[in-house]
Amino acid sequence: MPSVRDLRDRIRSLKNTQQITKAMKQVAAAKIRRAEALQKQSRPYADAIGAMLRDLIANVGSIDHPFMKGGRGGAPGGVILMTADKGLAGSFNSNLIRAAEIHARENADLAWYAIGIKARNALRRQSRETLQFWPLAQGVMFDSAQELAHRVTDDFTEGRISSITLVSPKLVNMMTQRPEVRQIVPIAAEQTEKKPAQGSVEFEPSPEFVLGRLLPKYLEFTLYSAMLETNASFYAAQLVAMNNATDNAKKLIDENTVEMNKARQAAITKEILEIVGGAEALAG
Amino acid sequence: MANAVPFTLITPLSVKFDGQAELVIAVGTEGEVGILPSHAPYLTALRPGLLRANVQESGTTRRLELACSEGFLQALPGKITILADAALAPDEVDIAQARADLAAAQDEQKAAGGDLAAHARAQVKIDFANARLAVAGV
Repeated sequence: MPSVRDLRDRIRSLKNTQQITKAMKQVAAAKIRRAEALQKQSRPYADAIGAMLRDLIANVGSIDHPFMKGGRGGAPGGVILMTADKGLAGSFNSNLIRAAEIHARENADLAWYAIGIKARNALRRQSRETLQFWPLAQGVMFDSAQELAHRVTDDFTEGRISSITLVSPKLVNMMTQRPEVRQIVPIAAEQTEKKPAQGSVEFEPSPEFVLGRLLPKYLEFTLYSAMLETNASFYAAQLVAMNNATDNAKKLIDENTVEMNKARQAAITKEILEIVGGAEALAG
Repeated sequence: MANAVPFTLITPLSVKFDGQAELVIAVGTEGEVGILPSHAPYLTALRPGLLRANVQESGTTRRLELACSEGFLQALPGKITILADAALAPDEVDIAQARADLAAAQDEQKAAGGDLAAHARAQVKIDFANARLAVAGV
């Protein structure tokens, strides 16, 4: 049986851990509000660019843009793996990495892009070649998204990769984040279903030219909003993980306190017995 | 008071302007375009440049000037929408940063040589830096 002092030390250490997890929980709760606000701010842009794209596609006869056609055969498929920069968020990062691994098992020839330090490290551990890496830092997220979009666009149009697939978390709600694997280029036909043109829209200089400008922008924005979602999902996962950790620490503290009280009581009883025994021996 | 039309200027980071405009002048890839209310449906790509608009605010007309990066303009009879990567008001421009960006982009363009795509990319940066300096009144 551990001594009273051992138990007291253990409780103290547990309390310290609990304090840390509680602080991290509060930080995550604050950061998730910021992440959600950023997501909300980007929504009008998403709606507007989506509407413009639909208008354009309805008005263009034949869509002759590399993004709408299959990539060159023989080139590896490009995969963008998005994770957080940090851990301590339960199985958040490992779920994403596992989703990427499953995708890799089904598709032999792949080239990788990493967003988030955890993604880069995982790819390095699996000794997969990473073409380029960006951290998921909140301040420069839009710049990173633009750089990433330029890089994958160049690689795609020059035939170094044949498609672009994105592995990123989907924030279902605060408690659930699910990894999602989706192909973003070439753009799938059903995403751009034609609807009858609404009257005559004038394009300057031509619908094809504007579409050629809009599609890369759309890709840029898709990647940016995926990064925002990764960021928000990470903090949501961390909030849950830290909440559980705080609860578990509390449970352990309670158990150990009961144990310590028992040990202390046993020590006192033993001492009294010794004194009584000693006194009786003297009297006898 | 002149006719006005709902006008929104949206960047991925925020909605920069949402209100009524009498006139919007933007720099399209084919040159400057001025849009008045009741314009026929129209969609164009924008080059980085100075975006000017006469907007109505609490009963008076105000001149809005912003340095706009690449984007798109969509005009409908009852609505004008501009999408841009960034749009900066005069007090949001960091002049030293804009000057540094301009110099860097000019060097980049010189280094591009015969690479037309790199040349064009550098030109976009030069235009945006110039627009920022212009809007800040430098």
